[in-house]
Amino acid sequence: MDLRETADEQAFREEARAWLAAHVPAEPLPSFDTAEGFALHRTWEAELADAGWSAVSWPVEYGGRGADYLKWLIFEEEYWRSGAPGRVSQNGIFLLAPTIMEVGTDEQKARFLPPMARGEEVWAQAWSEPDAGSDMASIRSKGTLSDDGTEWILNGQKIWASRAVWADWCFGIFRTDPESSRHKGLTFILIPLDTPGVTVRPIAQLDGDTGFAEIFFDDVHVPVENTLGGVGRGWNVAMATAGFERGVSLRSPARFNVAVERLIKLWVRIGDPDDDTMRDAVTDLWMQAEGYRLHTYLTVTKMLEGGTVGSESSLNKIFWSEMDVRTHELALQLLGPEAERLDGPYESWVDGFLFSLSGPIYAGTNEVQRNIIADRVLNLPRA
Amino acid sequence: MQFSFTSDQHEFAAGLREMLEREFTAARLRHVWESGDGHDPALWARLAEMGVLSMMVPESEGGLGGDFVDTVLLVEELGRAAAPGPIVETMVVGALALGGTTWAAGIVDGSTPVTAALLGERYVPHTAVAPLVLVAHGGGVDLLDHPVVDGGEIEGLDGGRRLAILTDITGGTMLSADLDRLTDAGALATAAYLLGLSTRMLAIAGDYARDRRQFGQPIGAFQAVKHLMADALLKVEFSRPAIYRAAWSFANDTPDRARDVSMAKALASDAALKAARSALQVHGAIGYTWECDLQLFMKKAWALAPAWGSAQHHRRRVADAVLGPR
Repeated sequence: MDLRETADEQAFREEARAWLAAHVPAEPLPSFDTAEGFALHRTWEAELADAGWSAVSWPVEYGGRGADYLKWLIFEEEYWRSGAPGRVSQNGIFLLAPTIMEVGTDEQKARFLPPMARGEEVWAQAWSEPDAGSDMASIRSKGTLSDDGTEWILNGQKIWASRAVWADWCFGIFRTDPESSRHKGLTFILIPLDTPGVTVRPIAQLDGDTGFAEIFFDDVHVPVENTLGGVGRGWNVAMATAGFERGVSLRSPARFNVAVERLIKLWVRIGDPDDDTMRDAVTDLWMQAEGYRLHTYLTVTKMLEGGTVGSESSLNKIFWSEMDVRTHELALQLLGPEAERLDGPYESWVDGFLFSLSGPIYAGTNEVQRNIIADRVLNLPRA
Repeated sequence: MQFSFTSDQHEFAAGLREMLEREFTAARLRHVWESGDGHDPALWARLAEMGVLSMMVPESEGGLGGDFVDTVLLVEELGRAAAPGPIVETMVVGALALGGTTWAAGIVDGSTPVTAALLGERYVPHTAVAPLVLVAHGGGVDLLDHPVVDGGEIEGLDGGRRLAILTDITGGTMLSADLDRLTDAGALATAAYLLGLSTRMLAIAGDYARDRRQFGQPIGAFQAVKHLMADALLKVEFSRPAIYRAAWSFANDTPDRARDVSMAKALASDAALKAARSALQVHGAIGYTWECDLQLFMKKAWALAPAWGSAQHHRRRVADAVLGPR
């Protein structure tokens, strides 16, 4: 055990910090859940990519730096500390890309990864359906092979597709064996959103922005080459993505450390120093954010030593999502009447509060995660 | 940056676990509680023989000369077994305080258990079995040899931890030990012990939830039970890296040592209380009986959660470090 950074890691950190200090926009960009903000965030992704910071853990040939996960965590720490924009490409870079690296063909890697890293192709996810939310295995959207066997013909509906309103592509699973049920007979397919027959209908979120959408598929033809990971293997491929999403990549610790640091600054500025209850609550959150950071470092060290992240990644998902809600609840409590204003000096806390409330729901509700922990980590009997 | 243990460290801990699972059963623990003074001399001798007790004693005194990172997994295993007697006080606090003195020999050969009351505790544990007692005195640390206890031994909640009141702490030998460092050591070792204890309580509850059937199915198949246990596991597993990190901070005497130790103890104490309550609830009425072995582990958790500073005490120390002192 050695928790000091190596000289190499330190140099990497300093390089990232210097670049970010010189390039992060002085004013925050408008939300990427607006048309203007989306375009500006896309430009930012290209700027990151030009300097090799867009996907540091990817191999160099696809636009990364071949950095290990520890360096990726270091980059994330510097990224969030610098106040850099949110990552509009996150669904692609952090969720789809690891799956493409694992099960994609060489052609798919060469075709999809570089434009993803550059923000030229932004990806949306298309998992849920109106009747397949927590119960994702009840997917009904269909993929039928064309007569000549060269194309999938897709029909059905996906929902809660984050980024879909302005994205270029989506990835999702479709039932390609009509006789199948549940986890079998599903196939993971990559779909350009400008394909004829695709209709994207924005859904206004709790915060009023259109961060997610419904996607309707009406005889949508895509080449069979867009199959990822083999016909009928969609569930396993999707679960590989979901495991990584929950485990490490979706929410790196730094954003929570930064949020709690902001909370501490807020407490120092406006908190009552004699209010022990609030002091304890802020301290608890500091310990939680620090605990999450340490837990992630423990997980990443395990991965670097050849281990894998399994169902225990569900523990992470519950932990960060509930911590994030609590951080924002506490900030609003500190702000008192100011917390009601949408356009005031504390707007980011109110926005952040609304966004935090989606955490325990997306990427598999926390109730589903608790079931996964109970079944696969604690080995309790299935219902 | 490398947040992992060496294969030697893992193997020593695995060997200890194997020995404890084989030789130190819950039935034997119950026997220790119900007869005698809450100590198991045969287990103590076995731990001495394996080198567990001397892990932190310097090599010059015949110990293994390990640091806290070498030791933390061993204490966790002893907690998993709810091993009775002054474990933390002897193998960690005693070894640090007495290393470099002739008293260290009694730790290495298992002949002289050591106990401690460094936070000015009213009730000092283990005095009946530990002739040497470390006490805080005048800002430093004194060693009392066979101190007189007032009114004899007091039975505590934890049968492996008998208590006593020391009326006179004068007349001891002044040691050249750093009081803050020793209290940090006690808190951190107790946190590691609690981690093992919590893991064990959840394992016992899991066994019961797989076995016990109601409404035609094992109770562990009910979501109410699943979520109860998942929440407890969450708290336990997020205390783990904080404890391991604090062990590293202690071993390397970093500037954040006190903060890291307090974070570890605060999380471990809270997690142990949560694990105990959850395990009891999973058991239902059976868990409320004297004959159910779960009680041995719960009572140890209830005794140790406040020992060496409660979660609240340590949370305030973290607050002072992170938010600035009041």
